Amino acid sequence: MMAAALNLQDTAAQALGLMRDAGFDDAQVTAVHARLDELSVAHNEPSLLRSTESHKLMLLGLVDGRVASTEVTRLERGDVLERILGLFADAKSAPRDEANAVSGGQHARIVQGPQEPDRELLAAKTSELLAFRARETPRMMIDEGAALHQWQRWHTLTTRGSDLAAAIGCYSINVFGTAREGSKSSSFNYTGGAADELASRPVQEYFGIAHMLRDTERQIETRPFDGKFVGDVVFTPNAVADLLGWLLGQLGDTQLIAGSSLYNESVGEQVASPLFSLRSRFDAPGIAALSTDGFLAAPVTVVDQGRLKVLTPSLYGSRKTGLKHVPVAPGGWDIAAGPTPLAQVIGGVQRGAIVGRMSMGMPAANGNFSGVIKNSFAVEGGEVGPALSETMIAGNMAQMLRDIVAVSSEVIDAGSTRLPWIRIANLHFS
Amino acid sequence: MSYLETRRHELRKRRILMVDGNLTLNSQTSEAGASARAYDRGYWGFASTNDTSAAGIERVTVQARQNALAMRRFGAKSVLALHEGTYRGEHVFAGRPAIGQDECVERMAAISAWCRQRYPDLKSMRVLFGDEHHSKRLSTSTGSEVLNSIQRALCYVTFTAVGADGAPVELMEVFSGKGSLADLDLSPEHMAPALDALHRHVHAKGEAVAARGGKHTVVLAPELAGMLAHEAMGHPCEADLVLGGAVTRDLVGQRVASDLVTMIDIANTYDGQEVMIPVYADDEGTPARDAVLIKDGILTEFMNSRETAARLGLEPTGSARAYAPSDEPLVRMRNTAILPGTSRLEEMIAGVDDGYFLMKTANGQADSTTEFMFGISLAYEIRNGKLGRAVRDTTLSGSAIKVLQTTDAVSNDMSWNCSGYCGKKQPMVVSMGGPALRVQAHLGGE
Repeated sequence: MMAAALNLQDTAAQALGLMRDAGFDDAQVTAVHARLDELSVAHNEPSLLRSTESHKLMLLGLVDGRVASTEVTRLERGDVLERILGLFADAKSAPRDEANAVSGGQHARIVQGPQEPDRELLAAKTSELLAFRARETPRMMIDEGAALHQWQRWHTLTTRGSDLAAAIGCYSINVFGTAREGSKSSSFNYTGGAADELASRPVQEYFGIAHMLRDTERQIETRPFDGKFVGDVVFTPNAVADLLGWLLGQLGDTQLIAGSSLYNESVGEQVASPLFSLRSRFDAPGIAALSTDGFLAAPVTVVDQGRLKVLTPSLYGSRKTGLKHVPVAPGGWDIAAGPTPLAQVIGGVQRGAIVGRMSMGMPAANGNFSGVIKNSFAVEGGEVGPALSETMIAGNMAQMLRDIVAVSSEVIDAGSTRLPWIRIANLHFS
Repeated sequence: MSYLETRRHELRKRRILMVDGNLTLNSQTSEAGASARAYDRGYWGFASTNDTSAAGIERVTVQARQNALAMRRFGAKSVLALHEGTYRGEHVFAGRPAIGQDECVERMAAISAWCRQRYPDLKSMRVLFGDEHHSKRLSTSTGSEVLNSIQRALCYVTFTAVGADGAPVELMEVFSGKGSLADLDLSPEHMAPALDALHRHVHAKGEAVAARGGKHTVVLAPELAGMLAHEAMGHPCEADLVLGGAVTRDLVGQRVASDLVTMIDIANTYDGQEVMIPVYADDEGTPARDAVLIKDGILTEFMNSRETAARLGLEPTGSARAYAPSDEPLVRMRNTAILPGTSRLEEMIAGVDDGYFLMKTANGQADSTTEFMFGISLAYEIRNGKLGRAVRDTTLSGSAIKVLQTTDAVSNDMSWNCSGYCGKKQPMVVSMGGPALRVQAHLGGE
């Protein structure tokens, strides 16, 4: 909708020149152009068609070891210059920190995924989704759903010679809703993901959509577990994503710099069951293999058969802690599938639950957590029982990684993550 | 029936994070945009751009209309008679002149240095400053012309200590208010009582015991009662979630809480004072009014947009709000509170033989069933009416309807905060408030 396409490289180069002129010792500039086409569903009906377009400049400047950053969407030269002068004042007011630096010598040109939206495809997939719901899971209310195409191109330049450009497009489907019968409702449930194409399969075969809709219909009638016990859980990929998020947080800057990571001294050590391996897939749909601080993100294995291979500090985190710098993309992770069919993963549970979603606060600094299990089913003697309500589990995130006893051969590929079902022993149910 | 709204929207945010004296985040962002949303023959079209000029508004208006038209490919749809409420007015908070990044950093450094000197045993400390300013100028085809300006500021201070088992223990205190960071008193002297208490609590947590999992009598500090209001019954009373199948749909006029409980989503004024997130007209230009969700324990009404009100045959409440320039308005809470009662907090604790006093929450989540969850980051045992040992991080949960029906005491004080974001497709700045409550609820633990 902008009158003319912006030349991102020129825009970034001009801003970098202005930052040099303003007196910055070093700088990183990223010019961004993004478009979104989204077809929304509300309450089981097509509802809204959205098209958005935006441009912005992301600026980071260093002067005398001091740093500040900003984002602006007004890109006229006068507006940008005014903000750069303000940014210089912001940086000058910061404490000096020799760990601050910008990337250098990085070069990349990445074009990935569908670059133009196919609105006919979005409409067809929306119709398919609504037809599947009406035919197969009529008690399901899709409260919010969307079929969308996102596209973003950006160009990053630094005063140290890094020159990185990417144009990434992808399709996504998101489904959020509740099943209802009479006056009873299930808990809400959701799934979604990103893909480079949506045309090769029926929509319900993407991102576990059919699983989610069918499971949610079975969650209208629920009951709590009786009493307290120690048992097993089978985390669905949606719940595994919480475990993954916690682990990645432990390996990143905030925890490493504060010295509060449980894995500060654990590289080379066994931190998880040998069944657990975590590696990057930085070429996943919607992801570019570039870190936000301007580095190419090479493929990396983070945990190999339970052994921690690397920590993932940014350039700043690395310079701050002395740890090896390991650039990672903002997403794109793969927990390796295991050898065990899902049915056997579940069949091995004597007493416990299939956990669709964890509703909980942030785990404590030592990894302890307790949370309500939602969208979950009881399992007794290997048999899947009724859906659960008012059931909590408690444990420790780090211990859960060590207590993994089975990993499914099936996975759900949601684009930025590809995750299996994982069975974990020794959780406290109440 | 057709409807059109256009919005010029600027969102300015500042975030500064100091970790042990190191500035790890020093950022100001500004996002300007223009959007249009059109309703035509039962379908919506939306478009946005960064170009806020008249030409930009014109382009997104044409695009939004085209998008609504394109939705007709899905066939004819029943057309809603949207309410035509109109509001004309400008509401801008007149706070102190904003302070610069340099002054913010000076104040953070002063807090850090003061804490290092006063609490030398801490392993680590973080100070986060943030403020954000939403300025929205709205025009609608119903004749509304509105300027809404909402500002809020916050400071988080997080202490990390080493627990008795050698593992790190964290706890956070929040200072928040209306306006920019200039409007908060962030001097160490002013913050000292709260920081001294935080230091005491983080050390108590270092020797904390696990909560006993199961149902208990718990006294919720006012901070948690606000979260209970927001998460447990607030979300299930948002009309779009009601339409989506929330159990509250069939409960209007029925008892959902003890008669000690009255809960309101306040539009702009409480007890004669403007609240932290004042909404005089929402982002659809609808005049905003209080939504009395629960009156003396009886579920009374829902929060509505123009569309949900038309679908449910109700009056809109002015609850449709959009977070970013590229967002469309959704039904969102504003300032959700349980109103104070007559008990004193000390007496409420003294009346518990065996239970817990829950003081701080990290986050919460709601459900269509009204089953809620809060992370509890600070709690103490209550034994024979007295506070005992600290309790490790745990989770509080239950069905809001069952829990609120067990309310047997509501304190006579009231605490407000607006430090977090509500998440529902888009983030949103909200405030929440409440007195202390004594209820029966489920705690996670061994």
